[in-house]
Amino acid sequence: MRLASLCLTAAAFVLSVLAVPASAIELPDGPNRDLVYGKCRTCHDLQYLKESEGISARAWNDILDSMKARGLRIDDATRAKIYEYLSTYLGPNPPPPPAAPATATAPAADGKALFADNCSACHQPEGQGVAGQFPPLAGNPDIFANKDFPVYVVLHGLQGPVSVLNASYDGQMPPFDYLEDGEIAAIINFVRASWGNDANRPGDLTDLTAADVHRIRQNPMTADDVHQLRAGLVK
Amino acid sequence: MSSERNTFNLTRRQFGKMAGAAGAALAMPGFVRSGLAQDAMNSAQIISGKKSGLIIHNEKLGVMETPLTLLRQYAHTPKDILFCRFHFPHEGEAAWYATTDAPSFPDWTITIDGLVNRPRQVKLADLQAMPMEKRVSVIQCAGNGRAFYAAKEKVGGGQWHNGGMGNVEWEGVPLRAFLDDQKLGVSGAAMWLTANGWDQPATPEGSDFAKSYRLGDKALDNAILALKMNGEPIPAAHGGPVRLIVPGYYGNMNVKQLTSLLFMADQSPSDFQSMAYRMPNFPVTPESFGANDYTLDNSEPTYAHKIKSVIFSPLQDDSPKAGPVEITGVAFNDGEGPITSVKVSSDGGNSWVEAEIEAAESPWAWYHWKAKGELKAGSNTLISLATDALGRSQPLDGLVWWNPRGYEWNGADHVDITV
Repeated sequence: MRLASLCLTAAAFVLSVLAVPASAIELPDGPNRDLVYGKCRTCHDLQYLKESEGISARAWNDILDSMKARGLRIDDATRAKIYEYLSTYLGPNPPPPPAAPATATAPAADGKALFADNCSACHQPEGQGVAGQFPPLAGNPDIFANKDFPVYVVLHGLQGPVSVLNASYDGQMPPFDYLEDGEIAAIINFVRASWGNDANRPGDLTDLTAADVHRIRQNPMTADDVHQLRAGLVK
Repeated sequence: MSSERNTFNLTRRQFGKMAGAAGAALAMPGFVRSGLAQDAMNSAQIISGKKSGLIIHNEKLGVMETPLTLLRQYAHTPKDILFCRFHFPHEGEAAWYATTDAPSFPDWTITIDGLVNRPRQVKLADLQAMPMEKRVSVIQCAGNGRAFYAAKEKVGGGQWHNGGMGNVEWEGVPLRAFLDDQKLGVSGAAMWLTANGWDQPATPEGSDFAKSYRLGDKALDNAILALKMNGEPIPAAHGGPVRLIVPGYYGNMNVKQLTSLLFMADQSPSDFQSMAYRMPNFPVTPESFGANDYTLDNSEPTYAHKIKSVIFSPLQDDSPKAGPVEITGVAFNDGEGPITSVKVSSDGGNSWVEAEIEAAESPWAWYHWKAKGELKAGSNTLISLATDALGRSQPLDGLVWWNPRGYEWNGADHVDITV
């Protein structure tokens, strides 16, 4: 009886993409997909994009304008990249998926640009955060809790109540595990060196490398686990 | 206005604290969510108190649709299966409404302001002491049926089928009498009433959600400041503690978590009033009219329900057999006149029979109907088409009202069944 009902439940889920948790929804691989991941999930998860797959390029263009009215913060260049991705890979005639992942060596990651694309929507361009909603990164002691901690946050997100600089937050940061190892290292190194954060840097703390992130990535964790990890590190 | 905003922000913070003090119960859904991050997400984990198996359109926003196999089981759609559509994430300070429990905010206040001589602040307790009336009304997402427009050209957004609706008993204080009692001294310059709720956009640049009604709109004569849904305090996920219910109007016009009513010369500039949730005043095509071509002159907000019928049985899930079959479903409109006819076909429109219609509980409730049909081995198409006393009918092909945001689908319902 129990097995039967389980099977029924499973069958119901197979009918659609519902079975996929929002954090695991993947969009087709293509240039600038990361921008879509970084920008769109501030307000809604990717299922809206998935359900809209196949609409016309004009419709995507209109949606981007609508989303700007709803609070999407992007400059024209970023908008053009996102539009290119959406209208191509989620448009009516998407290209076939690439046969093999590209193996060309990536240029050195630019932490400042990556921060602007992936993090500034919530944490703000100068890392100042938004009161009550998104914690600041400028002056935030968490970023030096230990060498690896911010990597866990970026990889897996962070969920649960936190207090930062005497202010409370209870939001849900999504995982950014789709970023490359070198990109994550570059973002965190940039944040640690910006907005006066350098003054808080412990003397023996060196910059993160892609190899560091690769190592940390081998520990599977949830956003909840990261919250607990933080509780042990931050007073 | 600025003092009102300050009050509002302060109130928001207080709620945040209260939600925190209320403890683990409110925080639980979030923790359950991440703990099972690798498993299938289901509606019960996204909004606590919901049944499993609702159709999820957006987890972060708690947007979910009711499968018809559940919807058809109840005369009044219960809170654990009723569709849900919020516009902003159920996170942080807003996590309190990710539950079907009723919120407990004894200090909840509704501000009445704008072009009035005497702005008022009305406490929830005062509202609860006023005479109340019931309204049984279909509540339906304006995007219900959006998926069907794809037969012409797919429209972006949640791909709702027919389950973004429910038949609900609301109870609350009649709006007109309430406003009269406040002795507001409304200016003759006021033309619109704007309702705003507690919810706020995810980013400071985002448009707030607000809805405006013409002050003379006759639908407001039936509107209530609802405090109860199906006999209980309104669940947080459905707009408690106070929801403006305008019977016969699409879901978005029934503002949740009501915090303010403003008398204005113009309608709200909110994107949700001026651009989204509007219908063009004339038929449009994907080539002629885009999602941002709406103006206040060429379009109207998604106010009154278009006449609609939905087939509840048989569905493919029922595995019906060949032979005679009873076809059942519901029909409803904006309450302006009764549903007088539902024509039903079980052979794709070659032949039609007149359904037997049950009396409805109220002008805005759904009417149950049933008709006899015949299923043959192979593929069958069932169709239902409703007409009301004002002579308004569903179009046989709903694509005639294709629109770039995919609202107000009301084509004759088509159900394909393979026997």
